[in-house]
Amino acid sequence: MSNVFVRYFNLMLITLVILSLFSFFLAYLFPGHPIENLTGVRLADISQLENSEFKYRSGESMLVQYWHYMSALFEGNWGKSFNSGLPLYDEITNVLPASIELSSYALFLSVLVGIPLGFLAAMKHHKFTDYSLLSVSVLGYSIPVFWLALLVILIFSLQLGWFPLSGRISLFYEIPKVTGFIMLDIFLSEIEDKQAAVNNVIRHSILPTLSIALVTTTLIIRITRRSVIETMNTEFIQAAFARGLSTRQVLFRHGIRNALMPIFPLLAMQFTTLLTNAMIVETIFSWPGIGNWLIQAIYHQDYPAIRAGMLAVSALVVIFTMSIDLTIRLMDPKRRRLKRAAI
Amino acid sequence: MVLLDIKNLTLEIELSGEWVKTLDKINLVIHEGEIHALVGESGSGKSLIVKAIVGALPNKRWRITADRMTWLGQDMLAMSALSRRKLIRNDISVIFQNPIGSLDPILPLGKQLKEVLDIGKIRKSWFWKKKQQKHKMAVDLLHRVGIKNHELCLSSFPHQISNDVLQKFMIAMALASGPKLIIADDPTRGMEVNAKTQILKLLSRVNQVRNTSILFVSHDLLAISSMAHFMTVLYCGQTVETGELKKLRKRAFHPYTQALLDSAPSFRKDLPPKSKLSSLPGTIPTLHHLPIGCRFGPRCPRARKECVTTPAVRKIHNHYYSCHFPLHWEGK
Repeated sequence: MSNVFVRYFNLMLITLVILSLFSFFLAYLFPGHPIENLTGVRLADISQLENSEFKYRSGESMLVQYWHYMSALFEGNWGKSFNSGLPLYDEITNVLPASIELSSYALFLSVLVGIPLGFLAAMKHHKFTDYSLLSVSVLGYSIPVFWLALLVILIFSLQLGWFPLSGRISLFYEIPKVTGFIMLDIFLSEIEDKQAAVNNVIRHSILPTLSIALVTTTLIIRITRRSVIETMNTEFIQAAFARGLSTRQVLFRHGIRNALMPIFPLLAMQFTTLLTNAMIVETIFSWPGIGNWLIQAIYHQDYPAIRAGMLAVSALVVIFTMSIDLTIRLMDPKRRRLKRAAI
Repeated sequence: MVLLDIKNLTLEIELSGEWVKTLDKINLVIHEGEIHALVGESGSGKSLIVKAIVGALPNKRWRITADRMTWLGQDMLAMSALSRRKLIRNDISVIFQNPIGSLDPILPLGKQLKEVLDIGKIRKSWFWKKKQQKHKMAVDLLHRVGIKNHELCLSSFPHQISNDVLQKFMIAMALASGPKLIIADDPTRGMEVNAKTQILKLLSRVNQVRNTSILFVSHDLLAISSMAHFMTVLYCGQTVETGELKKLRKRAFHPYTQALLDSAPSFRKDLPPKSKLSSLPGTIPTLHHLPIGCRFGPRCPRARKECVTTPAVRKIHNHYYSCHFPLHWEGK
C-alpha cells in the first residue's frame, strides 16, 4: 500500500519539477530580458531591477537561478503582469477557481448523462436505441465547441432571451471574494437575497456548461458503451446467467461495478479535453476564468502571465489526473497483493 | 427416473451469412443419481451442449431446435424465460472449465457464494439472523468440499487463490442451491494429478451421498472410466454412441469410440512395450467445411459409399449408436 503511494508521489513530483524547469526556461526563450519575463517589471525601473537581480541571482549559474526561482515560486512571488501590474499569484487565484467551477459542472453533467446513456446503448446493443444514441454521439463529437457556443448564444440568449449572454453573475450582486468559487462565496457572504444570487449564477452557467459538456458526454457515452458490451460478454457474466440469476441481478451485482472499473481512468483523461474546451468557451462567454485570462495575456504578449498561467494549469491537470489514478489503483481489488496462504 | 431428456437437439450458428449446424441431432438422457460422461475431442461441441442446456448462450446469433428437451417432464424450450431461469436456479448447477474466469474478479468470494444460496431455507429464519445463517451455510458448504480455512477463502478475491481450491469453491457454489443435476464442464482441466484426484473424488462423493446426477464433460478417459456409469461419445456435434460405460469399454460399436479408447494406452492391456501408440489420422473438420452425412466419414477407416447419408440411431438394449457399418457387423 505505502509503496504505491510513494511511487505515485514520485511520479507526480518528477512531472511537476520538469514543468517548473520548462516554465523557468520560458523566461529565457521569450523575447526580452529574462529578468523582465520573470518579474514582470520593466527594465526602466532600475531600482526594482536591482532588487530582483539580487533575488533571482541572474549573474550566477542556471542551477542557482532555478533554485531561487523555485523558492520565489513557493513564497507566492510569481512576478507581476506586464498588462495590469498586479501580482500574478493574486490574479491566478482569482481566475483559476472560476475555470475549475465551470469544468466541474460540465464534468458532473456529462458523467450524469453519459454513463446511463452508455449503459442503455450497450444493453440495447445492435438495436435501434443503440444506433440512434451512437449516431447522436458522433454528431455531438464532431461539432466544434466554439461554433456550438456561438450557436447556443444566438439561439438561447439572442433569439429566445432565456439565458444571459455573458459573464458569471449579474452586476447587481456584489459578492466579496473568499474562495473564488462563486457558489461558496455566495453562501459565505452577507448579502440579503442569497437564493436570487444563486439562481442568477445558475442561469449564467447553463449555456457555457452545456456547450462544454456536449463533447465530453458523447465521449463518455462511447467509452461506457464499449466497456459495458465487453463486460457483458465476459465469461463470468455468462456464468452468472447460467447460475440462474436474472438480468437485473447480474447487471447490478456484477455488471455495473466491473464495467465502471476501466471507465474511471479514461474519465480522468477527459479532464484535459474539458479544460481546453472550457478555455475556448470562456472567451466566448466572457467567463472570468483562466482560459479567458490566458488568451488576453497572449494578445498582450504578457510573458510573465503566460509563464505563470501555463504552470498553474498544467500543475492542476497533473495533480488531478494523478490523484484519480491513485484512487482507482487503491480501489481496484484485482491489483491487491496475493495472499499466498494455503487454504 | 429420467431427469433430463434431450432428443434431436440442433444448434445452429450464423457464420458469414449462412446457418451452420454446430450441434446436429444430439440425444442425451440423464437419469437420477447417475454420473453421465460426455466425451469428445476438443471442438466437438461439448461445451456448447452445456451452454444450450442452461441457456447461457447469447440468443442473437443462435438457433436452438429440438424434438424434445424436457426436465422432469416439463418442456424446457417452451417454458417462459422466468420459469426456465428458476428451474436452472434451483435444479441445475454448472461447474465451468475455467474457475477464475467464471467468477466476478472484483467481488469477494464470500459474497458470490452467498448470492446463490438456497433462498427457501433462509426465508424461514428471522431477518436479524439471516446474515448469520447465510454465513453459517457458506462455511458449511466450504467444509463439505474440503476447504478448511473458510474465513480466508470467503474474504479473498478470485485471483488470490490457487486454481484447484477455486475449483473446489466452484463445486461448493454448485452445491449451494441443492441441485438435482450438476453439469461439470471439464472441471479438472489443466490441473496436476493430486488436485485432479481430489476434485474427482469430491464429485463422486456428492453423487453417492446426495444422489445428485452429474453430467461430466471431459476428454479425460481415465477419470471418466473410474467414476462414470454412462457415457456419450460426441464427434463434431453429432452423438456417435451412448451406452453403459462398462459395455462400451468392453465392446464399442462405433469406429470412433474404438479409436478413442485405443488412443488411451492405459485401456489397452495387450499393448506390447515400445510399440507405436495408435491415433486416428486427420483432425476434426472446421465449421466452414462440415462433411455431409456422417461427419466422421472422411476420417473413418470403415467408411463406404453409404456414409454420405446420415446414419439412423440404432439400439441394442441400452446401447445406442449411429453408424452404417458398426464394428460388430464383421460379416458384411
